[in-house]
Amino acid sequence: MFTRRSALAAALTAGLPGLATAQSGQVVVGTWGGDYGDLLAANIDKPILGPRGLEVVQDVGPQDPRKTKLIAERQARRGSMDVCCLSDVDMFTMAQQGVFEPVEEGRVPNLARAIPSLKRPYSAPHIYSAKVILYNPAKVPTPPQAYADLWDPKYRGRVGLVDILHLQNMEAASLVAGGTEHDYEPGKKKLMELRSLDVKVYPSNEALAAALKSEEVWLTIMWLARGFMWKKAGIPVEHAVPAEGATSICFEMAVPKNARNRDGAMAYLNAALDARAQTAFADRMGYAPTVTDAQLPPELARQISLTPEQQAKLRTPDYEYIARNQVALIDFWNKEFKR
Amino acid sequence: MAALLLPATLLVLGLLVAPMAMLFRISLNEYSAAQMMQEALTAENYLRAIADPYYRDVLGTTLGVALACTLLALLLGFPAAYWLARMQSRWKSLAVILTLFPLLVGNVVRAAGWMALLGRDGAINAALRSLGLITEPLALLYTTGAVIAGILAVVAPYMILTLAAVIEGIPRQVEEAAANLGAGPLTGFRRVVLPLALPGVAAGCVLVFILCMNAYATPVLLGGPQFKMMAPAVYDQFVRGTNWPFGAALAFILLVVTLTLTIIGSTVLGRHSRSR
Repeated sequence: MFTRRSALAAALTAGLPGLATAQSGQVVVGTWGGDYGDLLAANIDKPILGPRGLEVVQDVGPQDPRKTKLIAERQARRGSMDVCCLSDVDMFTMAQQGVFEPVEEGRVPNLARAIPSLKRPYSAPHIYSAKVILYNPAKVPTPPQAYADLWDPKYRGRVGLVDILHLQNMEAASLVAGGTEHDYEPGKKKLMELRSLDVKVYPSNEALAAALKSEEVWLTIMWLARGFMWKKAGIPVEHAVPAEGATSICFEMAVPKNARNRDGAMAYLNAALDARAQTAFADRMGYAPTVTDAQLPPELARQISLTPEQQAKLRTPDYEYIARNQVALIDFWNKEFKR
Repeated sequence: MAALLLPATLLVLGLLVAPMAMLFRISLNEYSAAQMMQEALTAENYLRAIADPYYRDVLGTTLGVALACTLLALLLGFPAAYWLARMQSRWKSLAVILTLFPLLVGNVVRAAGWMALLGRDGAINAALRSLGLITEPLALLYTTGAVIAGILAVVAPYMILTLAAVIEGIPRQVEEAAANLGAGPLTGFRRVVLPLALPGVAAGCVLVFILCMNAYATPVLLGGPQFKMMAPAVYDQFVRGTNWPFGAALAFILLVVTLTLTIIGSTVLGRHSRSR
């Protein structure tokens, strides 16, 4: 659990270099709070690392400030985090800055059982999901088949997108326009079409959830896992895997080069890939396990996993393309699409 | 005696001047997708921000909102400040606390309250619907009006308390003398109270204007994704775009514009009050 005391401890160790090395059993994990942080504490920190004498301190915050912290501390001899949790796209961008230690099976043995397509040389894949269409079955009786269905004029004003998923929305639009995940250019025109169909843009997932609940909008592009959680929370949504192919999202963990406790951090990554810890995230948050030895109950697996055919069409974001074009893509999204 | 200034000066130098100098240096660097930032000495970021109609628009919106809020805070705040300043009752300290009340909750919490009030299923829409005045909910949230109302609630106490402090210093007898000499309440206000209160008006406006120009949480939460003011745009560049040089340049443009307008405003008002 993230408590006032642990926050204080994190603040103290961040401010006093040298102190943490004296307590070599401490690992500071930069992570999201909420369910994610709670589940880390309940399934990794306490049951797996606790008995081994590793004390985990969560440094809770949103992803963007955590990225900024990594960049700002890049030149520092000692960083404030031992483990840094980021989503795949941001993890790649940060890895390009050379801030992370290599992650190898030698130091993280459980990586041997990780799904090969999710492995990266700079991080461990923690949980993953796929980008799908969420729709309100009462208002959209025929389930949508493809992203392209969101452009149907009969859904004018009923499609909602979330601002923070601007890259993901642009990728979907480019797939509709016949493009690929390697080039979002064709999607720009498509997005402007959606704009003229009165698409609504919400500032946060929570705002979008409220709009889906009040039936202000009926369709959106979202992670399957989040759709699962929303459904559990009573929001009227079903998911449809787009014919264009779903795109994966993976939440990853990495160890900054200037971490104070690199061995402890690698042990943390290994524990995160433990099958027991992985299933807990599936049950509560709807994210699929990244290791092949984690078994889910069949009913849960049906709700949060893709069929083998859908899995075969699963796309991985082109991280390099995104990293190279991030600034220009955000500019388009802000200046032209949202204007 | 000068030694008394030392601790505060060191604090300001270390925690304000030094980071600002670093930020200014960053604003002269070049952005690079691979390196994030490359050492350089270029005005490119400033030129791009000034040349781009989008950022001119963002700056325009920021100025518009800040000026509207300052003016509204002055118009609404002056009567309240006058009433507070002339209050004789023992409830006066309670009234001051009530004025400060909006500042007791954080910006984000206050904005969340406004969201509950202005949302599609918010209190206002629910009330109007149950009264049968509307059938479809009104779009109140994510509008310029919502942002102005939200910011106004934050800055009004600053304006009222600044004005009240100055009005309290204007002797009552001066107003009575004006009345004795045949000035009606309006003339008395226009020719006596207002000119004497001008230093307070200047101080209040400057304070409020600066706060409005730098508003962050309220425009983000009440303006929605389509609404952009400078502070959120700066944040976007630093954090979402990881383009620190351009973000730093935007921050300095905001600083310079705010500073210039503040100096012009207080000089004009100051000259006005001295000439009387």
